[in-house]
Amino acid sequence: MKIVVCIKQVPASNDAKIDPETKRIIRDAVKSIMNPFDNYALEEGVRLREKLGGEVIALTMGPPSAEAVLREAIALGVDSGILLSDRAFGGSDTWATSYALAKAIERIGQVDLVICGKQAIDGDTAQVGPGIAAHLDWQQATYLMEIKPTDKNTILTKRLHENGYDICEVTLPAVVTVVKGINTPRVPTLKGRLASLKAEIPTWKPEDISAKTEQLGLNGSPTRVVKTEPPAPRTSSTIKIEGTPAQCAKELVRQLRLRSIV
Amino acid sequence: MHDPKYHITNKIYHVEILPPKQESTKLLEDLEIFKEKYLRVMDSGYCACITDNAMGLMAFQGHEIIEEMKLPVHPDQVMIHLNTFHTKADLDNILKSCMRLGIESLLIITGDGSDRLPKLQPSDLEETDVESVTSVELLRYIQKAYPDTFVLGVAFNPYEPEEHELEKMKRKLDAGASFIITQPIIERNAQIDRLLTEYPDIPVTVEAWMSKKLSLLSDAIGYEIPADMEYDPIATLKMLHQIYPMCGVYLSLVGFKTQYDLVKDVWK
Amino acid sequence: MITKTETEKANFRNVWVIGEVEDGTVLPVTLELLGTARELADKRGSEVWVILLGSRIQNPNLFAYGADVCMIIDDIRLQHFIDELEAKLLSRLIEKYLPEIILCGATSRGRALIPRVAVTSYCGLTADCTQLDIDPNNGDLLQTRPAFGGNILATIRSSNHRPQIASVRPRVMKIKQPDNDRDGITIFETILPSDEINNKKVVEVFHDSQSAINLADAEIIIAGGRGTHGKAGFELLRQLAQKVGGAVGASRAAVDSGWIPYTHQVGQTGQTVQTKIYIACGISGQIQHLVGMQSCDLIIAIDKNPDTPMMQMADIAITGDMFEILPELINEINLR
Repeated sequence: MKIVVCIKQVPASNDAKIDPETKRIIRDAVKSIMNPFDNYALEEGVRLREKLGGEVIALTMGPPSAEAVLREAIALGVDSGILLSDRAFGGSDTWATSYALAKAIERIGQVDLVICGKQAIDGDTAQVGPGIAAHLDWQQATYLMEIKPTDKNTILTKRLHENGYDICEVTLPAVVTVVKGINTPRVPTLKGRLASLKAEIPTWKPEDISAKTEQLGLNGSPTRVVKTEPPAPRTSSTIKIEGTPAQCAKELVRQLRLRSIV
Repeated sequence: MHDPKYHITNKIYHVEILPPKQESTKLLEDLEIFKEKYLRVMDSGYCACITDNAMGLMAFQGHEIIEEMKLPVHPDQVMIHLNTFHTKADLDNILKSCMRLGIESLLIITGDGSDRLPKLQPSDLEETDVESVTSVELLRYIQKAYPDTFVLGVAFNPYEPEEHELEKMKRKLDAGASFIITQPIIERNAQIDRLLTEYPDIPVTVEAWMSKKLSLLSDAIGYEIPADMEYDPIATLKMLHQIYPMCGVYLSLVGFKTQYDLVKDVWK
Repeated sequence: MITKTETEKANFRNVWVIGEVEDGTVLPVTLELLGTARELADKRGSEVWVILLGSRIQNPNLFAYGADVCMIIDDIRLQHFIDELEAKLLSRLIEKYLPEIILCGATSRGRALIPRVAVTSYCGLTADCTQLDIDPNNGDLLQTRPAFGGNILATIRSSNHRPQIASVRPRVMKIKQPDNDRDGITIFETILPSDEINNKKVVEVFHDSQSAINLADAEIIIAGGRGTHGKAGFELLRQLAQKVGGAVGASRAAVDSGWIPYTHQVGQTGQTVQTKIYIACGISGQIQHLVGMQSCDLIIAIDKNPDTPMMQMADIAITGDMFEILPELINEINLR
């Protein structure tokens, strides 16, 4: 099976600084890590290859420093990594991001399965996975707890819903997004890390993936951030409740009603 | 197997060496630095103690580094920390590698987890009474699956409620621990005094904080230590030897550039 | 679709709500969105259309909740959730009827479906909006949402693309009082053969009302610490959690004592949570725990000791024995 896992480098802490002009995060202000949900996607890709044979390629779109997550993916057992990086990609919203990734997947060619993590912890939108599927016009399956290959050109997927789950038969090629708990991601070994230091990671630009520049970056993005602000600060005073247990419970419920919670 | 009392009677320091972190951008350099520190500790006749994902931050495993860098192993000169944040497969892999390399000393701790680290489940170790795996269950497993292979130690935290810690200690010793290492202290500690009274025959090693940065110590143990006091690690070390002559000493955050040579003359 | 000029934008009218339909039942988030849609449509001087895709749909009176038009595709092929099919239907309807604004529930279905629609229709989608408004200057939809784990509130707009799509999580907007005198029209649409190409198949569906809510998704967390005194103590917390539809959390001390699995641990070496309500029972509040929950909207602490760091940090601090107070709390809730 030829598998592409789309990963993202995100700020480690969520206290990132915002560029007042583009309203996008200033990426070098904070330490960066692999988006935690992507570890599950990578692990799933590597496990499928261990079961069925084939190849796993990690793909990311980001600044040059994003190469670090590709190397981390290789240390975890992925065969190779590709970095999509160019000023033209900068400031992309999820539409433009999923477009670029879809074009890269087309360029990679003969891909059977694209695996994404459920969402990125900075954007929190969960839109890129289905967006890639739409650009490629492939089937999709989201919030997966399990992927079972069959002997045909399909996979059986267990899709998580609010009050249960369903089993879908998805025809390849397809895009899937996976949730935490689908597997236990392995920890990179020293040997794996040392090997990843030597890997050659190509950087692709818009012309390498035949992408229309007017559909990339800030200008290609249908949405734009116009304002950012911190949420309302928490008040510093503590309301103290004492008394008999019954009194305390009543008073607590009263306090919750005042806040329109109950 | 060596006797853990050996380090105390022969005045052998335990020296903590932190392994390179997974996120390191200069891994080869960090490995060389690790190797240098390790070999220095070997030359001094001391015991190199290697942590296991301390504070939940992903680092490389002691046995991996020793194997990859082909570092020498003497059974009483290497101690590996081992915590409960591993898959069962990884746990057995670590234990088998330690056996193969001749590493005998293991410090068994519950450890620090994180989003990124797996965790042993009670069912992995055939435990049915607990909801979460602690050092006690891990000790029992090692004793059962790898009998007479390792010398197992446990941690004592003098900053947690006393009765709670002593009750835990009893369970740890029952499960197969044969030595104790305490959390870092900077002065006489009443709970450690109590521990020594309760268990006069178990080798106890107190941990000395060798960094001038007391704020880091507060972070490590989770309780505020007033950071405004002038702190002299060497003077404190000498004091600890005086207060606890029957104990070994574990040096954490010792500076290899300047401090290490001073330390060598302290414990006579 | 790209709409650079005012003329192009003027072709798009009305606020749509994509109904959330499961097994023929229209779910409450639809009503929540209708209330918001009504407000937005009133500001735009336009209509609210609700789109229902499903099989054997039991249609509550959505006109009473603010809809002017109810557009229905009721077909056995829509009995299960097939994202590709629903996306194709919606894209076709969008092209035909040109809505200006579309609201959709940010549910497991909505979040799978609506990004596909947004890509196919080349328009902007903002997920998990907590506030929606109309810009009085140019009529654009102003979409406000949290990012960076809730540390930033961002306002987003789509100036040059229509329709403007926003998803909203259930229970964020309030259901408005229905007006049973309101009426509207119903339009029936159908599935075309071209809609049926390249869709996955749903093989089996499992309902699980007891499914455990995990910490990251919970709106209420009841957490226990050393004061829980053991596995049995957590049983009480579980009862309360189940009553309020919340999740059980724990401090490191409780997990390290083997009383509750590590997956419930909140704190620096566990999970960081940002729920609406965090109830800390018998948790003293070590720094490592506090960093894991200090951003929760409302922090309630219950402890025998009124002076712990947690009791001082809490918005509401209750001095008492959790084993006496929690059962009373369960009683109070039962009375409602």
